[in-house]
Amino acid sequence: MVQLVGSLRKELADSLSTCKVLVVGAGGIGCELLKNLVLTGFKNIEVIDLDTIDVSNLNRQFLFQKKHVGKSKAQVAKESALQFCPTANITAYHDSIMNPDYNVEFFRKFVLVMNALDNRAARNHVNRMCLAADIPLIESGTAGYLGQVTVIKKGMTECYECQPKPTQKTFPGCTIRNTPSEPIHCIVWAKYLFNQLFGEEDADQEVSPDTADPEAAWKPEETAARATASEKDGDIKRVSTKDWARSTGYDPVKLFNKLFKDDIMYLLTMDKLWKKRKAPTPLDWHQLENSACPQEDSPVSGLKDQQVLGVWGHCQLFQQSVETLSSQLQEKGEGAELVWDKDDPPAMDFVTAASNLRMHIFSMNMKSRFDVKSMAGNIIPAIATTNAVIAGLIVLEGLKILSGELESCRTIFLNKCPNLRKKLLVPCILDPPSANCYVCTSKPEVTVKLNVHKTMVLSLQDRILKERFGMVAPDVQIEDGKGTILISSEEGETEANNSKFLSDFGIRNGSRLQVDDFLQDYTLLVNVLHTEELERDVEFEVVGEAPDKAPPPQTNQEEVNSITNGNKDSAQPSTSSKGQHGRKLQLDWLTEAYNCGGSNSS
Amino acid sequence: VKEDPVISEEEAAQYDRQIRLWGLDAQKRLRGSRVLLVGLGGLGAEVAKNLILAGVKGLTLLDHEQASEESCRAQFLVPVTARGQNRARASLERAQNLNPMVEVHADSDRVEDKPDDFFLQFDAVCLTGCSRDLMVRVDQLCSQRNIKVFCGDVYGYYGYMFCNLGQEHNYVEEKPKLVKPTGNSNDGPEAKKAKVDPNETTMVKKTSSFCTLKEALEVDWTSEKAKAGLKRTPVDYFLLHVLLKFRTDKGRDPDPQSFAEDSQLLRQIRDDVLEALAVSGDLLSDDFTSYCFSEMSPVCAVVGGVLGQEVVKALSQRDPPHRNFFFFDGRKGNGVVDFFGPK
Repeated sequence: MVQLVGSLRKELADSLSTCKVLVVGAGGIGCELLKNLVLTGFKNIEVIDLDTIDVSNLNRQFLFQKKHVGKSKAQVAKESALQFCPTANITAYHDSIMNPDYNVEFFRKFVLVMNALDNRAARNHVNRMCLAADIPLIESGTAGYLGQVTVIKKGMTECYECQPKPTQKTFPGCTIRNTPSEPIHCIVWAKYLFNQLFGEEDADQEVSPDTADPEAAWKPEETAARATASEKDGDIKRVSTKDWARSTGYDPVKLFNKLFKDDIMYLLTMDKLWKKRKAPTPLDWHQLENSACPQEDSPVSGLKDQQVLGVWGHCQLFQQSVETLSSQLQEKGEGAELVWDKDDPPAMDFVTAASNLRMHIFSMNMKSRFDVKSMAGNIIPAIATTNAVIAGLIVLEGLKILSGELESCRTIFLNKCPNLRKKLLVPCILDPPSANCYVCTSKPEVTVKLNVHKTMVLSLQDRILKERFGMVAPDVQIEDGKGTILISSEEGETEANNSKFLSDFGIRNGSRLQVDDFLQDYTLLVNVLHTEELERDVEFEVVGEAPDKAPPPQTNQEEVNSITNGNKDSAQPSTSSKGQHGRKLQLDWLTEAYNCGGSNSS
Repeated sequence: VKEDPVISEEEAAQYDRQIRLWGLDAQKRLRGSRVLLVGLGGLGAEVAKNLILAGVKGLTLLDHEQASEESCRAQFLVPVTARGQNRARASLERAQNLNPMVEVHADSDRVEDKPDDFFLQFDAVCLTGCSRDLMVRVDQLCSQRNIKVFCGDVYGYYGYMFCNLGQEHNYVEEKPKLVKPTGNSNDGPEAKKAKVDPNETTMVKKTSSFCTLKEALEVDWTSEKAKAGLKRTPVDYFLLHVLLKFRTDKGRDPDPQSFAEDSQLLRQIRDDVLEALAVSGDLLSDDFTSYCFSEMSPVCAVVGGVLGQEVVKALSQRDPPHRNFFFFDGRKGNGVVDFFGPK
C-alpha cells in the first residue's frame, strides 16, 4: 500500500531528509529554489554565492529585504530560509564556486547539484566538476519572461558544453573607432574611453581614429603607408590617452574638442569611408554653448532617467562627470585607476554623455540614461514569477532523479505565450552526449587555427584556454618528445614565457599541446593549425565552428515550436521581451546579451 | 484605476529590473491596483509573494482557516510559532516585509460570509482553495463589474488556473516596428533599407473576450463536435471536475492521512463525473489518485508563478492573457493553455 508523506511516497520523502544537495547561486533562481527545496523536505542544503545584495535585487530575490543590502547573498538566504524551516541544515558559502577549495571531492558529497547561475564561465566549470565527480546536475536559466531547465548526467545526456554556444558578439575595432552605425557601437566606444582616461588602459580598447582601417584606403598599399605614417606622427600617437588627458589637467573642454571635433575632422579626411555612408559632423563646444536654449520644464510623469537630454545637456553632463572622475582619480594618488561600474553615478553619467555625443555626431537618435545603462551595464530584465516557475521545475526534476527515474527527466522550456500545440511549458526528451564534445568524451580534442608567430603564450592561456575553453588553471605541455612545459598553473613558474610567441618554443603547424586542468579533472588535446590568414581583429579560430555565428543547434524536439515571428535569428542578443522564441533556446546567451565575457549585473 | 504620475526614487530603484521588462506605464497601473487573495495555503502564499513583489497598491489576504502544523511546513509566510492562529493574520508580517510599499491587509472571515459589495472594492480577485459554488458566485458577481477574476488550486502534482477578464478586456501588445527606408533616416547612417529595428517598437491595441466560470465548467460534451475535440482536450479539465466535486462533497481536499479511503472515493467520483459529462471513463486512469494529495511546494511555485503573472498582465493591461485555463502536470512537466466555454 502506498504511503504518503504529504504529496510524496514515503521512500522518496525519507531520502530527501538524508541526502545532501548543492545550490550554486543565491540570486533570482537561487532564492526561489532554496525556498522550494526546504518546503519540499530537503534537509541538507549547501548554497554558494560570491555576490552581495543590491537594491535592484529586491523585486524578485524575496529572501532579501532592504536592510540586507550590502550583505552576502548566500548568508542572508540561509538565514531567511531558516526562518520558515528552523530544522533545515543549511551551509552558506560567500565565495566563488571556481575557488579550488571546491574540488571534485567537495562535489562528491552531494547527490545532486543545481545551478542558479548567470554566467557561462561558472556554468562550464560546474559542468566539468559534476562530470568529474559523476553527479547529476540540473542546469537552468531565465531572462525576462523566458526560462529553461535541463538535466545533465554523465554518459547519459549531453553535457553543458556538448553543443557549441553562440559566442559573445564583439565589434570590429574599425567600427568602434571609425564607422559606428548603431548606438551600441557608441556605447562600447564610451566605455573604452572611460578606461583610456580613468581606468586600466588596454591596447584592444583604442578610441582614436584607426588610420589602418582597410576600408579607408583607396588602394591596398595605402593602408600600410597610413599605419606607418601615423606612428611617425610623433607626440599624439606615442603619448597614451591618459597621459595626454593629464597633461591638459583633464580639461573637459579640451577633451571634448579633441574627441568630438578634431578626431572627427580627421575621420572626415578618410574620405573613402564616407562614400557610401553618411559622414559624421564634428561638434564645437563654444558654438553649442552659444546656441543652447534654456532647458524647458521637462514632464515629470516618466522616470528622470528616461528623459533624453539635448546635445548641450550632454555637453554639460560630459563636463560634470569628467570633473568628478578626474578628482576621484587624483584623490586615489599615483598610478591609480578607476573601474567602471554602472551603479557609480559619475561613471554612468560619463558613458551616457560620451556615447550620446558620438551618436549625435554620427546621425543617430540619442538615448536616455535609462537605455544607455541597459546596454552599457548588460542589464537583463528580470521578474519574480519567471524565476518562481523555473525553480519549481528544478525541484520536480530533482525528485525524479532522486527516485531513480532519470529516463523521465526532461529539458523544459517556459515560453511567453503558448505554442501551436497550446503548450506554455514544453518538455523535451534529453539528448545523448555529443560524439564530438571537447569536454565529455573520453579523449577530448580540438583544433585551433592561429598564427604561431603572433600568438603570445599569455594569449594562449587567457584568451584561448581560459576564456574560450573554460579552464580555470591550465597546465600546458608540448607534445615534442621532451614534454616541454609551456604553461604551469603554479603562480610564477612559467611567467617568463608569457610574452614569448608560440613559435619561440618550436610550435608550428601540426604541433600538439596537452592541456590539463587538474581542478576540473579535464585534459584537452589541442592541435595547432598555423595560418597567416585570419580575419582582422580575430586572434584564433576553433576549427569546426564559424566564429560569432554559431547557429542555434537544431536538436530533436517533442513539439514544433513557433510563435510570432517565425524564423528569427536567435544569435541576435536581445534583452527585451519582444522576441517570443518558442523554439529551443540557449538561455545562457540570453542572459549574457551585450556582455563582454563577465557575469551579469545582478 | 487611479494613476499617480510620480514614481519615487525608491520605487525606480527597487522596480528597475521589471520596469525594464514591462515598462513604466504597466508599473504605474500595478501601483494603482487593489487585489483580493482568498486562501493562504501553498498556492496562496506564492501568489501573495508574486503580487507583493510586483508592487500592487494593496493586497488583502482573506482566510478563515487556522495555521496547522502542516500549514507551517507548507508555506513560507506562516512562522512555525503561529500554530493555532488565523492563517491570514499569521502570514501578514512576512508578507508585508516582502515589500513595505504595498498595503497588505489580513482578514480572517469566511469568504462565503462576505456580502457582494465586499468584492467590489477590488480591481482583481484571486480565489484559491474555494468551493466550486463559491467560485461561480464570485466570478458572476465580479466580472459584471469589470473586476478581473482568477481561480487556482494545486492538488499534489497537478494544478490549474482559470481567469475571467470580462467580455471586453483591453490590452496592448508591443510589436517590433518595421523601419521604412527614408532619405533622412535618424537611426544611423546605414538605415537605407527597411528592416526590423529591435530598438523601435510600437504598441498595438487589442481586445480579448472571456466567458464565465459557470460556462467554462458546463461545456456540453454530448455534441458530435465536442466528442471529436476530446482527443485534443487536456485530461486535466476532467480531473479538475473530479477534485472540485471531492471538495464539495467532503468539505476538504484529499488528505494523505486517509489515503486509502480518499483514493477510493476519488475513483468513485471520477466514475460519476465522467458519466455525468457523458465522456469515456478511460479518460482518467486509476493512477491519478496517487498524485493529487496535498499541495506540493514546487507545483505551487509553478502555478503561482503563472497565475501571479496573469494577474500582473491583466492589471497592467499589457500582453495577451492566457485564455482561459492553464493546466500544469508536475509529473510530465507539461503546462498547457486551453479555452473551455461557448465558442
